[in-house]
Amino acid sequence: MPSTPAESSHHPADSAPDSSPTRRTVLMAGAAGAVVVPALSACGGGGSSDSGGGGRLRVGVAGGSAQDTLDAHQPTDNTDIARCHNLYESLCLFGTDYTIKMALAESVEVDGDAKLWTIKLKKGLKFHDGSAITADSVIHTLRRVTDPEALSTSSQQLSTMDRDNLKKVDELTVEVPFTEPYVTFRELLAEYAMGIVPEGYDPEKPIGAGAFKYTSFTPGERSLFAAFDGYWQGRPQIDELEIINFPDETARVNALIGGQVDAISQLPHSQLEVVKSNGNLQTLESETGMWLPFTMRVDKKPFDDVRVRQAFRLIVDREQMVDQALAGHGSVGNDIYGRFDPAYDEEKLPAQREQDIDEAKRLLEEAGYGDGLEVQLVTGPISAGAEAAAQVLKEQAAEAGVTVKLKQTNSTEYYGDNYLQWTFAQDFWVTRNYLSQAAQGSMPSAPFNETHWADEEWIRLIKKARATVDDKKRNEIIRQAMKIEHERGGYIIWGFVNTLDAFHSKVKGLEPSVTGHPLTSYGFHRVRIEA
Amino acid sequence: MSRLILHRLFYGLLTLFVVSLVVFLATQALPGDAARAMLGRNATPERLETLRAQLNLDDPLALQYGKWVAGLFVLDFGDSYANALPVAEYLGPRISGSLTLMGISAVIATPIAVLLGAFSALRRDRAADHATSLASLVVAAVPEFAVGILLILAFATGALHVLPAVFAGSAGSVLADPVQLVLPVATLVIAVSPPIIRMMRASMIEVLESEYVQQARLKGLPESTVIWRHAAPNAIGPVAQVIAVQLGWLAGGVVAIEFLFGFPGIGLALMDAIATRDIPVVQAVTLLIAMVYIVVNLLADVVGLAANPKVRVSSR
Repeated sequence: MPSTPAESSHHPADSAPDSSPTRRTVLMAGAAGAVVVPALSACGGGGSSDSGGGGRLRVGVAGGSAQDTLDAHQPTDNTDIARCHNLYESLCLFGTDYTIKMALAESVEVDGDAKLWTIKLKKGLKFHDGSAITADSVIHTLRRVTDPEALSTSSQQLSTMDRDNLKKVDELTVEVPFTEPYVTFRELLAEYAMGIVPEGYDPEKPIGAGAFKYTSFTPGERSLFAAFDGYWQGRPQIDELEIINFPDETARVNALIGGQVDAISQLPHSQLEVVKSNGNLQTLESETGMWLPFTMRVDKKPFDDVRVRQAFRLIVDREQMVDQALAGHGSVGNDIYGRFDPAYDEEKLPAQREQDIDEAKRLLEEAGYGDGLEVQLVTGPISAGAEAAAQVLKEQAAEAGVTVKLKQTNSTEYYGDNYLQWTFAQDFWVTRNYLSQAAQGSMPSAPFNETHWADEEWIRLIKKARATVDDKKRNEIIRQAMKIEHERGGYIIWGFVNTLDAFHSKVKGLEPSVTGHPLTSYGFHRVRIEA
Repeated sequence: MSRLILHRLFYGLLTLFVVSLVVFLATQALPGDAARAMLGRNATPERLETLRAQLNLDDPLALQYGKWVAGLFVLDFGDSYANALPVAEYLGPRISGSLTLMGISAVIATPIAVLLGAFSALRRDRAADHATSLASLVVAAVPEFAVGILLILAFATGALHVLPAVFAGSAGSVLADPVQLVLPVATLVIAVSPPIIRMMRASMIEVLESEYVQQARLKGLPESTVIWRHAAPNAIGPVAQVIAVQLGWLAGGVVAIEFLFGFPGIGLALMDAIATRDIPVVQAVTLLIAMVYIVVNLLADVVGLAANPKVRVSSR
């Protein structure tokens, strides 16, 4: 019996904005960026260049289960996320290069001390039911997201929002006060789980402002949507969108090959050749900010000694790990997350860490583990490539005289009661900017502080950055924080994962995106089906 | 006879009760509960607490089980933890989908297997017989899952691209696009047939050697009449039991096949429910499968008894 696929990740993939122009040009130049690979030459099709248009796009999305939901603010699985992206619209959005753009909002501005944000809406916007999108809708949405009775996926990130004092300035303007400086509010507003909903919103009959409106939905099976004429970016070119659950990856690929769906998310590396050898199919590979770290608890032996942490980081041969665990579909990491953060400027950050077994041995000896060290690494099918990475680490560690014992778990056990308590384990995170990620995984108050990182100097820098409105100054502070984590943090960030999707050649308009969400962040409003 | 059936029914109900208890305890023994499984990595302590309270997961186990059993008496299977729908409403279309799949497979498999078995018996020890016997032995030894994968490779994604490899239709309307049913049905037919073929062959050989068939031949009746009027009907009796048992197996076999083809029936619902620790759904589906087994076995026994005059007379 196949186990539940790990790919149906219960993980709020999320946010982050601007990537620096330099970084972006590098990406666009395809140095390691995403490329659309035509699978051989497309036969048939006759090269018709007419727009085609209309029609129904059928998409096979990884995962999905009986707990599928249409609730705008409670998505967990990939299929929920795909629906959120299309049914709802947020105030801002992430571009394919991870810059933040305005969506329903005309502007989102912050005042001097980063505690008061002002949201201005675009004029004349409508929900699916024809009602106007107003300041009241924004206030209703923010209050719904932070409802203590039904905590949403984003609630934790809005814990410092003063929800009782949201102020309607006029029909299109809202003031949002915070109890503490909060400079990354725009990133949160661009999240797919922050879709604006009207007052009286009911998930059973969901009304949003996304490119597609609700038609029908069967949990654990499929959902159908129709193009929304009043979408703010213009009516989508396809008439209907069908999102079909495929928990099993083989079935998903077979459905694409057999022509029962037009596009699939998350093509497994093992199936890449099968798809490439088919003349009617194309693959889409995107570099992303997704990472699969090893997590070392900085408060537990042996990792409470910074020299051991440094040694382990030197043990890893990153190129080999990307080659073996990700079949080469990824790029090496330098123990720093937030690679698309505007502050992430390789020129101004420490040089790439390379494998150095001799130095690792020396550090271990210094730390008192000269005559061997044995650690247990907790692994499981939490994300494609994680278990393979654990195997590779085991082999590489042996070279330095370190015995890594693997403890195999399944997803449910991994994320069970001992999650965040493992001494040495793994995890996965999607593209985010540095401060947002810190709030999620590294600050003492973070819900997923798996390394139990609590470095005083670092915390001070993060708090300072959060209150610094000036981009240039803030980026400088963030880089200082990055350097500290690079030097003594608890993560081994050996690489970043590329995502692979596949679709039929007649599907036009999808492009690579670094957000880590498949199929151009499920951006089906941009898709055209050629006749 | 009727007392015997009542007796059997009582034991059937007892079996169901034990099954429900075992399944309940087994799902409890799995690591993590429904709230954890549903929230996954979003399981902040606050959210866990809220959800556990909503689902009454903090009640003592005996109370949770008791509530569920009490519901059964008024045919209330409770609500799914995963999507808050009543279990009956959630499973309804899926049950009809699975029954359609099983029904079509049974209707196709039974006559084909019976005819193949009879044909084998008539060609006894000739090439055709050996081929059929070997084939049914091989197929019987291969798990149905592997049969399905081979069929997909042969007809959908590998050698030929003539049939859909997955079912992408809706549980509520499985017949909307019948071509999607071809491979799942073929897999079930192939998996369910070998025992029927082998039993029919053995039974037919026995009948063909019996005195009354020899007698019919001596009378000079045409061979076809001998076989189809005299031999085959008498050979079917013992095979009926095997057919019943195999149809019972279908209820369980359908789980793996549905997973393979992405067919939205009870099998897929069960896999899903186990993953999300959705105990009400796990319970309902396992009980349903157990019930099919029990009823089918009961029918098989009744058929067997009815065909046996000694029993008919003695157990009044």
